[in-house]
Parts: sequence; structure tokens; C-alpha cells
Amino acid sequence: MAKVKTLILRAPGTNCDWETAFAFEQAGSAVELVHINQFIRREKKLSDYQIMVVPGGFTYGDDISGGRILANELRLNLGDQMRDFVADGKLILGICNGLQVLVKAGVLYGLKGENRYPLTLFSNDSGRFECRWVYLRTNANIHCVFTHGIEKMYLPIAHGEGKIVTRSGISNAAVYYTDDKGRTDADYPHNPNGSIDNIAGVCDETGRVFALMPHPERFIRWTQHPRWTREPPSEVGDGFAIFTNAVDWAKSI
Amino acid sequence: MSQLGQQHPGDLIVVAGGKTGRDGIHGVTFASGELTAESETVSSSSVQIGNPIVEKKLIDVLLRARDLGLYHRITDCGGGGLSSAIGEMGEETGARVDLDRVPLKYSGLSYTEIWISESQERMLMAVAPDNVDRLLELFSSEDVEATVIGEFTANHHLELFYEGQRVCDLDMEFLHHGLPQLEREAAWETPRHDEPELPPHPDLKQALLGILGSWNVCSKEWVIRQYDHEVQGGSVLKPLVGASNDGPGDAAIIKPLIDSDRGLIISNGINPKYGDIDPYWMAASAIDEALRQVIAVGGNLRRVALLDNFCWGNPEKPDRLGSLVRAAQACYDIALRYETPFISGKDSLYNEYETEDGSICIPPTLLISAIAVMDDTRRAVSMDCKQEGDSMYLVGETYNELGGSHYYSTYDRIGNSVPKVDPVKGKKLMDALSEATGKGLVRACHDLSEGGLGVAAAEMAFAGGLGIELHLDKVPLGEPMKRDDLILFSESNTRFLVEVPLSHAAKFEETLAGVSCTAIGRVTSGSRLEVYDLNGGLALSADIEELKEAWQEPLRW
Repeated sequence: MAKVKTLILRAPGTNCDWETAFAFEQAGSAVELVHINQFIRREKKLSDYQIMVVPGGFTYGDDISGGRILANELRLNLGDQMRDFVADGKLILGICNGLQVLVKAGVLYGLKGENRYPLTLFSNDSGRFECRWVYLRTNANIHCVFTHGIEKMYLPIAHGEGKIVTRSGISNAAVYYTDDKGRTDADYPHNPNGSIDNIAGVCDETGRVFALMPHPERFIRWTQHPRWTREPPSEVGDGFAIFTNAVDWAKSI
Repeated sequence: MSQLGQQHPGDLIVVAGGKTGRDGIHGVTFASGELTAESETVSSSSVQIGNPIVEKKLIDVLLRARDLGLYHRITDCGGGGLSSAIGEMGEETGARVDLDRVPLKYSGLSYTEIWISESQERMLMAVAPDNVDRLLELFSSEDVEATVIGEFTANHHLELFYEGQRVCDLDMEFLHHGLPQLEREAAWETPRHDEPELPPHPDLKQALLGILGSWNVCSKEWVIRQYDHEVQGGSVLKPLVGASNDGPGDAAIIKPLIDSDRGLIISNGINPKYGDIDPYWMAASAIDEALRQVIAVGGNLRRVALLDNFCWGNPEKPDRLGSLVRAAQACYDIALRYETPFISGKDSLYNEYETEDGSICIPPTLLISAIAVMDDTRRAVSMDCKQEGDSMYLVGETYNELGGSHYYSTYDRIGNSVPKVDPVKGKKLMDALSEATGKGLVRACHDLSEGGLGVAAAEMAFAGGLGIELHLDKVPLGEPMKRDDLILFSESNTRFLVEVPLSHAAKFEETLAGVSCTAIGRVTSGSRLEVYDLNGGLALSADIEELKEAWQEPLRW
């Protein structure tokens, strides 16, 4: 069986491509870093891959708003290819800036022709960029390939525009911010940006398009944990299962 | 084949990245003069306008060009812009440049402005003619500007043209060696401050709370959280450590190679208060502090490089230059004996502001950064206390050195007894302690700097969420000292507070045989820092939450 091929999309300002590629390689996938211009010039096509990833960064300087320009480039140049990609049963992952991009490109909601933006992102309630570790819990009531079998995670966030604004009670919430006791109504700084319903990540109806603000690729080894020098070690970091889940699923495509 | 990093005559000069504008004209000249009330209007165009996204695109594509071997040599356009970048690169060959080919942000620049503009995000490469098409195509594919503006020649001349007119022709020999060595006068007179004869502080806890809340000591979480210190997933020891991710780590450790356990330690030392007494010992202390932090997190002195960053007044004034010379002498002396070379640095001089009542000058300030290679980052040690019952060792000798200390500051005094550095003893001590951390004998380690033993113990306790009990009568002294407050807050260099499990105590002491090292207390289950005085009475008892609050409150967001 051919190895799973993962595409890590690069664009001006992408800065988490390297460690995201490493996480997928560790999970057993072949990885290619491809610049958005190579798709726009039709030198590459999405159908060659099983997993597409929009990694973290500050694409195009986050001018206008976080992820907006790359979102427009994807929508206008790759809209059809992405629609086919999802229809073919393949996987899309967005991390941090990648969540902003996928939401604003309408990929998480717009593909089925529904109301295009039932959800968007806004500046953190603190009004500042913040880098800190957060406790997370997954939504056991939805189908999401990426979070399958994961109950809790502890991961870092690093963003200034990470507040998820939507109507309360949406069905697509896949990951919630909690406190260390797992409570999903925990306040700042546990909910680091003021997201509605403490939502940290969302998944589409297929369970195959998933995006989150925290960075799972930054915790795949124990020595990345902020308290690894004082707590009992674990084999791998909490974020690693996201990548193995995706690669294992993609093997069956 | 030429040697690595050397261009051939005939190689093309390619400028890449940002366009050239009128921002940053005479930036270096502006930075080399005193500020006045007119500076903002007269020199506003001297300030470069940065653009991070242009820089990131440039870096990304340069890494690809590097990996493909598409250029022979590269430099950035810093102070002096193209003039210094091409002038320096072309020294051994000669260079010919058509200034009208340089991409501009807007029209209207004279050829002089193009030549000296310090606009940001520009890199200069020497590219073989055979490679230039591939290189330009690569840059174009990622929307990064790259333009051939001339070539390196063999005539050892710098020749500039603008619209076909020769506007400059200088011999490289004259350009690089024609300027006679500048001679300036330096003077140094050791200042004498009042030697404070202070009564012992009536309440050591209040003194400690005051020092913890001072600007130099208090928590910097406010600024640390606003930087992405996790990007690229390489942080092994983060700037904030401990049970609640908020204790002051001594140094950062990163793993630049994600699939290797080797890493880099990055640390800093700075203390301008000592410069009020003697810039020599300020510089020596800053180097010692940066190296202490390397050792504290589990590193060693085998492969350490230093950087200096001088912020000073106008060096044309003999007293300013005299203090600068003092600091530079210490950099030489101390680095040589610690065997830690300076590999680079930066200076920012002329930090003075002219007023009707005379010139206001910043305190002479030297920041020392250390970069150390760590062979196994899994040996990293953080500063937070970890286990009740562990022994607390004080490594290094305490002297009556409170000149420039934070304790004297609480009395608004400076004093004269600035902390000294003995790099011969210091190196022996640091080598022994790094051997202990390398063997895994150390559970936590923190260096003693501003606020001395009192601050270090408080920080280790509240970062770990545990209590500490200390006995001042056990503190190893370098000279007779009879006052609890002076022992607790002395800022003598080359000292560490170390948590060692009881099971490793004998081996730890054996490893540190020959250097000053004494168990002075233990980690307790309680939540209090308790310090016993020279007579065995309780001199200080404070709840760690109260200590932490005093430390966090000043810059809390």
C-alpha cells in the first residue's frame, strides 16, 4: 500500500510548517511542503494528496484580519478542488492561523451551500496576543476523525485573534477549553480568548474537516511539556494522537 | 573553485527582498549623535520602516536558494545599506553597480540616497552567471523581489553608475584602509559614594517583599506571554517554569533540530546599578551572571559563546569613553579566563539628550548574552523546588558585597562594595556543578543575582509551590560577616542555590569537593519560606503566596 501523502500548505508568513511536517512524518505519513503559488500556477493539484493541512503563522501579515487573504486565495483558486477533496473522503486540518483561513474560506461551513459564516474569529478578550498552555476536552457527541479516542489534551496556544464567535450551542464544536479539572465553563485564563461556549476547535458534518486554535504539533514529545522537569513522564505528547488518527484514517482512502 | 563564502570576479550582484526607499537615510549617522528637541523632525527619515511579512518571505526563499547552492556569498544590508554591503563584499575583488537598477519604493531618490538608504528586509548575494536565471525564477515563484544590479569585478575598484554616468570610482585599498585610526581621549576616576552604615532592617520580610516587587526583580510574565515562545515546537525550557508555569526560569533551552536531543541554552546577564560604582565589575558581573544561568539549567562551559550589547553615552566625552574602556577591559579579562569567546555584539552609543541645563546621559549599561551548546537537553534542570525533604545547598562564597545591591536600594543608597568576580575560582566551581547536573544529581538549581540568597530562595519556593527552611549560620562566607540582613541580601557573584535529593547528597558533595558547597536548609511541605538567623532564631517567615503576589503584582496585566 502506498504511503499516505500529506500536503502542508505554505504561504507568505507561514511559520509552523516545519514542526507540523515533522508531526505527520512521525505519524507515518509522507509530507510535502507546497507554496500556495504552486497551486495557483497549476503546478500542483490537491488530488495528489490524502491530507491537506493549513498550518499556523501570520499569512500575508494577517492584514485585513487573521487568515483573510489566504482564505480568499483558497476560495477563488482552489474552491472546486477543495470541494472535490472533501467529497472524495479526504481530510483537511487547520491549526491556529489555519483555523482562521478555513473558516474565512468557507471550507468548514460553506461547502454545503449553507449560511456561509455562522462562525468567525475575533480579537482575544484581553486585547493582546497571548502564548500559554491550555487544558482541552473533546466533544464526545460528534464524529471527528482527528479527535477520535481523545478525551483530554494539554496544548499551547499562541494567538491574538482566537476568540470564536458564534451562536451558543452550535453542533460543530469539537474541542473545548477547560480548567485543570475539566470544566468547560472555566473563565480566563483557562478560556484564553473569551471564545463562546469555550470552543477551541470545530469540525464539519463529515467529521473530516477539523480546525483548532491550539497547537497539537507543539506537543508531540514529553520535553515540550512546560512541567516535564517536575512531573512523571509520558511516552508521547498529547497532540500526537491528532496526527496518528489522521494518518491511520487516510490509509483507508 | 573559490573558498566557501567568497565570490568570483564576474559573479552578479543581486539585491533581494524589500525595495529601497527614503526611510533609513543616514540611520547610523543619526544613531551616532546626541538627541535634541529637533531630532524628531530633522531625523525622522533616518528611522527604517520594518515589514515582517516581507522579511519572512525573503527568509523562506533564501533558505531554499541556500539549500540549492544558488549563491556564492551573502550579506544583509544593515547600517549604510548597499554602500557598506557592497563595499565590504567587494573588498577583495572590486564591484561595479548600476544604481538605477535598484528597485525603489517610489521615484525621486537621488543616486546618493539609493546608495546609502538603510531600508529594511534587503539581502545582497553574489551569484554565478550560470545560476542567476534559476535564482531569479525561484524568488519570483514566491513573490519575492530579486534584481541584478551589477557585478563583482577584478580591478579592485568600486565603480558606481547612474543612467550611464559614472558617479563614483574609488580604489578599494583607499576605501578600506585610507582612513587614519581615530584617537580619542578617555578618562576614568573611581566614584566614591557614601558608605552606608545602615542599621539592620527591622523587618527582613518587608525588605524581601520590597526587593521582590522592584522593577528589575519582579515577574516579566506580562511581556513573555505576548511573544510566541513555543513557535517551531523547539522550546525545552521555557522562560516561565514551575508548578503553575509562572516561575522565573534562569535561561531558555531550545532544540533547533527537532529530531535531535542536542540543544542551545540562551541566557542573559545585566545589572546597570553596578555601573554606578565601577563599569569594570558591572561587566564582569554580567558575564558571570550569563554563565551562571547556563550552568543553572544544566549546561556547561565547554562550548559557550558570548555577545556584548553596549548602551552608553557620547564616547567623544572622555569620562563616557573611560567607563566604556573599563567595561571592555573586564570583557577581555573575564571571558579569557572563563574560556568563553565573544563572537559578536552590538553597540548603541550617544544615548544622551541635550538640554539647556546640560546633557542627560543614560546609565552605562552592558547586556551580556550567552549561547551554549547542550549535548543532551533531557538533562535540563529547572529552578522550581520539587520535592519535600530534599536538601538545599548553597554553592559559592558570600562576601560583604552590597554595593549597588537591591537591598541598599531599599534605603536609597548605592555604597561602594560592588560584587567582584574571581573567574579562576568561578570556572572551577561552575565546572564542578555542571558535572553534578550532568550526572543527574540535581533536582533544581537557581543562580543568586539581584536580591541575593533571599530572592533566590523565595523564587524557588513559590515557583515550586513548596516551603524552604534556611539557616544563615551555615552559609559559607568568604570573609567574616555578622549580620543576617547582609548575608541574606549580599549579591556576591558565582553562587547557586541547589536542591539535591537526600539519596544523591553524598555523591553531590563528592562531585563538588574542592569548591565551596554547604547544605544550608531543606525543602519543606509547608507553604512558608523560613530563614533562621546566626543565633538560630527565626529571622524571617513568609507565606510563599504572599511572596509571589509581591513579585507578580507590579507588572500584572
